[in-house]
Order: sequence, then C-alpha cells, then structure tokens
Amino acid sequence: MLEDCGFTGVDIGPPVDTFRGARGEEKARAFEVFGHAFLAHRQ
Amino acid sequence: MTSQNPAGTEFVDAEVLREQVKDKYRDVALDPHGEHHFHTGRALAELLGYPRNVVDNLPDRAVESFAGVGNPFSLRTLPEGSNVVDIGSGAGFDSFVAAGQVGERGRVIGVDMTHEMLDKARENAAHLGRTHVEFREGLAEELPVETGWADAVISNGVINLCADKKAVFTEIRRVLRPGGVLQFADIANGRPVPVEAMRQIDLWTG
Repeated sequence: MLEDCGFTGVDIGPPVDTFRGARGEEKARAFEVFGHAFLAHRQ
Repeated sequence: MTSQNPAGTEFVDAEVLREQVKDKYRDVALDPHGEHHFHTGRALAELLGYPRNVVDNLPDRAVESFAGVGNPFSLRTLPEGSNVVDIGSGAGFDSFVAAGQVGERGRVIGVDMTHEMLDKARENAAHLGRTHVEFREGLAEELPVETGWADAVISNGVINLCADKKAVFTEIRRVLRPGGVLQFADIANGRPVPVEAMRQIDLWTG
C-alpha cells in the first residue's frame, strides 16, 4: 500500500512482542500480532 | 460513512471507530495506570527499546500515557534541524523524543484528535520548556499542516486504528517534502483476520 501511495524504499524492522504480558496478549497471540518499525521515502 | 479496506471490502464505520478510539485514549490520558489491553508508560518504553537515558530525562506526566507498539526511531534517528509531524501524538512522548533528536533548530508538530491527550501534551511541553514542539488538534486523514512542510513524519500505533489507511498515507505524502521520510511503528498480524472479526469494532480498539 505504501508504494501505491507514492512511497519507495520501504524497510521493515524486526518484530517486537508488544503485547507480551498485557491483557491483550491472548488476542494478539490468536492472530500473531507484533509491533514493527517501518521506514519509507516520499517520491 | 462506511470506510473500505484497500481491497474495497466494507468493514467498519469510520466515525464510530474514531469515537471509540477517542474514548479509549481519553481513558489512557486520564487513567494511564488503569486496566488497558496494552502496556503503557516507562515499562512499555523499555520493552520497545527506547534508550533509558532519553526516557529518564522526561517527567512522569510525559511518559505515563505512552501507548505505542514499537519504536519509530529504531530504523533511523531524525537529523538535527528537521521539521517533524507526529501523527497521533497523545501526551507527547514520541514528540519529545523527536524534539531531542532534531534540536532547537528543528520543529515538531504533534497532531491528535483527543482533547484530554492534547491538554496533557501542551502541559508537558510547557513544563519541559520545549518551545519548538507544538500540538494541534486534527485527524490523520486531514493533517493541520502545510503541504510539503515536513522532512519526516512519525507515528506509533495509530495508523492501524484508522479505517481508511490509504487516505492516511496519501495525506502523509502531502505534508512531506519530496524525499521526506515516513518512519512509524505499528502492528502487523501474521495470521489473516476473518472478515467477521474485522467487522467487530471492539476488536480494533482492544
């Protein structure tokens, strides 16, 4: 989607287990939800 | 108004989702140590890899309502003197981290739609004496920022809460100068979420 919106050079960082130990952990585990950093450059 | 995903499938009412997100983050502003489905504050910042010395230099009021999902500075440090927009700036945690990186020759505009967060962020900026950080009321889809003003746009755990992500990225492109950088953190799911679940608006907000 980023490329479709005029961005290039997209980079994605490693997953972070942001819901570990939180109340939302069960839902996060069900859909393998992790946090990531994203980087993209405007064309 | 019903928003659509990139494939055109209708999922949620954007206005209803927006109001539920406001309710959620109003709670985080007023009761940061309450029962939320995500971590908050200093413990979360440590989990996400923010440098301890940076976090330790901020007062509790500027950190306690932090509710990000990653570290938008982990892939790139903001250059000194940059103009930065922080989308969904909350009580200002990432805006203040950005302000430290860009220095006083740079400028940070935080944008949020939740009044309680904006009030808290402005109090924090005044307390910290950060005159190069400003907080404005607005939406991710309609940023109150001049076209081409920003060298960088940051965001943390916000875009996933917007029904029309294409509209958000298009608006980000508008405020960035050519060659400007979008650096954000957000959640991604490894397993597909069933359409029935996507229509359950409470799943979007917790």
